[in-house]
Amino acid sequence: MVKLILKRLLDLAIVLLGVSVLVFLMIRLIPGDAAQVMLGASGDAGEEQVRQLREKLGLNDALVVQYGRWMGAMAQGDFGVSIWTGKPVIEDIWQRIGVTAELTFLSLLLAVLLSIPAGALMAYFRGSISDVVMRVVTITGVTMPSFWLGALLIFGWAAWFPGWQTLGSIPSLTEDPWAHLQRMFLPTLTCALPVIASLARIMRSAMIDALGQDYIRTARSKGLGEWTVTFKHALRNSLIPYVTALGIMAGYLFSGAIVVEQVYAIPGLGRLMLGAIADRNYPLIQTSILVVTCAFVVINAIIDLLYRVIDKRAGVAA
Amino acid sequence: MSPCASRRPLTLRLAALIAGLAFAGLASAQVLEIAADGSPAGLDPHVVPAFNTVLINKNIYEGLTAIDKDLKIVPGLATSWTVAKDGLSYRFKLKQGVKFHNGKPMTAADVIASLNRIRDPKTGSPYASRLSMVKEIVEDKGDVVINLNTASVPLVGQLEALAIVPAEALANATNLQRVPVGTGPFKFDKWVTDAYVSLVKNPEYHTAGLPKLAGLKFNIVPEASTRQAGMANGTYQFFPSVDAVTINALARAPGVVTTKVPDLGYSLVGMNVSKPPFDNPKVREALNYALNRHEIVRGVYLGRASIAAPLPAVLTEWAVPYADFPCYLSNPEKAKALLKEAGVAMPLAITINVLPNPVAKDTAEIVQAQLEKGGFKVTLLAQEIGKFVADWRASNFTAFVSLNGGGVDPDDYFYRTFYTGSSTNVFKYSDKELDRQLDAGRATTNKAERKKIYDGVQKSLACQGPIAFLANGDLFTAMRSNVKDFAAIPTRSLVYLRQTTLEK
Repeated sequence: MVKLILKRLLDLAIVLLGVSVLVFLMIRLIPGDAAQVMLGASGDAGEEQVRQLREKLGLNDALVVQYGRWMGAMAQGDFGVSIWTGKPVIEDIWQRIGVTAELTFLSLLLAVLLSIPAGALMAYFRGSISDVVMRVVTITGVTMPSFWLGALLIFGWAAWFPGWQTLGSIPSLTEDPWAHLQRMFLPTLTCALPVIASLARIMRSAMIDALGQDYIRTARSKGLGEWTVTFKHALRNSLIPYVTALGIMAGYLFSGAIVVEQVYAIPGLGRLMLGAIADRNYPLIQTSILVVTCAFVVINAIIDLLYRVIDKRAGVAA
Repeated sequence: MSPCASRRPLTLRLAALIAGLAFAGLASAQVLEIAADGSPAGLDPHVVPAFNTVLINKNIYEGLTAIDKDLKIVPGLATSWTVAKDGLSYRFKLKQGVKFHNGKPMTAADVIASLNRIRDPKTGSPYASRLSMVKEIVEDKGDVVINLNTASVPLVGQLEALAIVPAEALANATNLQRVPVGTGPFKFDKWVTDAYVSLVKNPEYHTAGLPKLAGLKFNIVPEASTRQAGMANGTYQFFPSVDAVTINALARAPGVVTTKVPDLGYSLVGMNVSKPPFDNPKVREALNYALNRHEIVRGVYLGRASIAAPLPAVLTEWAVPYADFPCYLSNPEKAKALLKEAGVAMPLAITINVLPNPVAKDTAEIVQAQLEKGGFKVTLLAQEIGKFVADWRASNFTAFVSLNGGGVDPDDYFYRTFYTGSSTNVFKYSDKELDRQLDAGRATTNKAERKKIYDGVQKSLACQGPIAFLANGDLFTAMRSNVKDFAAIPTRSLVYLRQTTLEK
């Protein structure tokens, strides 16, 4: 176990170093820099003002020098300050990561709670009318763009539940938990629907696969009912592919969160990053991408550990 | 679609609960909830000219002069001013008893420090060119005296945009990006990135009885449909600069009122005159003839706009009407004839860069279709904002479609855009006669003479200039019906929020 954790930490360090170089270069390869974006395409600033602003922002130095400066500062725990506002970027990220993490977590929770029973039931009733209907519903869910779904829900909810606060600032969970969850409900639903749909489909095929295995035949021949066979024996064994997909979906959910934050005007990490890219706010982009990378690696490590809980043999194979 | 009957009790319970919450909110303060479309890119009034910054800053900062809703230049922090006979020296008498939000009284020293900061190349201020003719700024018996190298009549109006900050705040000027300190009716309270910027009433504001609201909250809501839904359900009470499509929907929403004023800004096709084919004036003229501006007004703005000319019609004292220029009436045949005269191969292939903005994109698509009827073959290049700006600055384009802001004086439209080598003359346009006229326009105080000069400028730019002026959109504001006494002005500034009230 200790060995596994150490190995994961080493992985993390290597991934972070690689990502840091990539993100540093990629954001600088996009044409247009912060000084140009800051001064805009109308207004009255000339080329001379751009050059002076660049000098002020330290953008005139060689890339290697800029990278070295960033790495050196990070080694001392200094993640840099926003090019635009001079505010330490880690403060902004810290302030924003909570709501995105919550959105991702709630959506994942909702997705797991709904997709496992849905997928298992589809497998149980496979081939029947209700299975076909569910499959059509889920394929619709998978293909529905979340910005469209989000706008639809905002307008629909306002018409159906006029008193339901769907927009505006979110009260904190500790101050007013009911209003908080109420405000988070539609964004969570928007984020989760496509994931529920695709996880349910994965669950269904994993179950059908498991139901064709020898041990199921054995269970049936013991005289167990179909219900017990499906939901006791097949279910547990279908969870391995499901959990793998869940890990990938957590990443998908995060990218979905960017769109959902935009539609529902939620101040989360996704919008912070989107804005930072448009503004060429280099330190903010670099640090937030490193934070997200860290989160990904950690989630994947957790998924690995989950395998061992579900299937004791996985540890031996690894 | 009807809601299930069985859900109704739940709906009612929720409605009652929310109504209770909303009531608790109302009782606490009269804060206006504003829906803004993007975050400010920092709040330093001397460095960031972006619309979302100015929107907020106009309530925090003031200039020596101000512009009222009739576009007249009126006193701001200066109560009056005089100009020397030769036009080379301006004296501003400062308003007494003005305090900054940090409690310090405003003095001539603060004004001088602010203006000098804008002039300082190290600041990198986009407003520096407005003060390029300044020789020195000095204090004399408590007045501020601005001495010039060359006369500049537009200076007084341009000072409106130059915020006065406390001299001591400049010692640590990067702070101004986050924590603005001005003299305006509202004080900065809090900025939660991408969520909101909130301002509170300045109880020591120098004009008695103002502001009337307890505060302003600029909610940052990036999606147009979300802003629309939020206005319709009352989450937001004020929605500045609404686009033509959204305003149609909002005008039908109960409890929402809309207002409109003409916009000083305009949409345009810009042409690079430093390389073929637009180095040839005939090709530029052909492009003007090929355009159908009526169609653009109908198609892009749903009829809620006016046809642009070098100066917008709202500047009634200065503008020459578009109908006086033959090239503003669509004539694709004439366009083809001009291209033939210019000796270029037809169809003439050009690429147009497009500003990533809904209005610019819609405009570009219509422009493309129109030009193709007039002998052009157009490729549109939809660009990301950073790329667009970089190409624009480096004059790395054949043509582009974008939007430009305006001002109250003709000089605001022409000098920095068309003067040889001027700051935003990205078209590389150079016309010695025009330069002479623009200099004369700055130096001439006699209004009738000035008018004559700018008539000439408009004529020389209308058909063969590097810009085809397309349309002046209307500027729409949507408000909940309990928002009273706001006045929108064509400069897009929200200065009238100081007199706005919220009825219960």
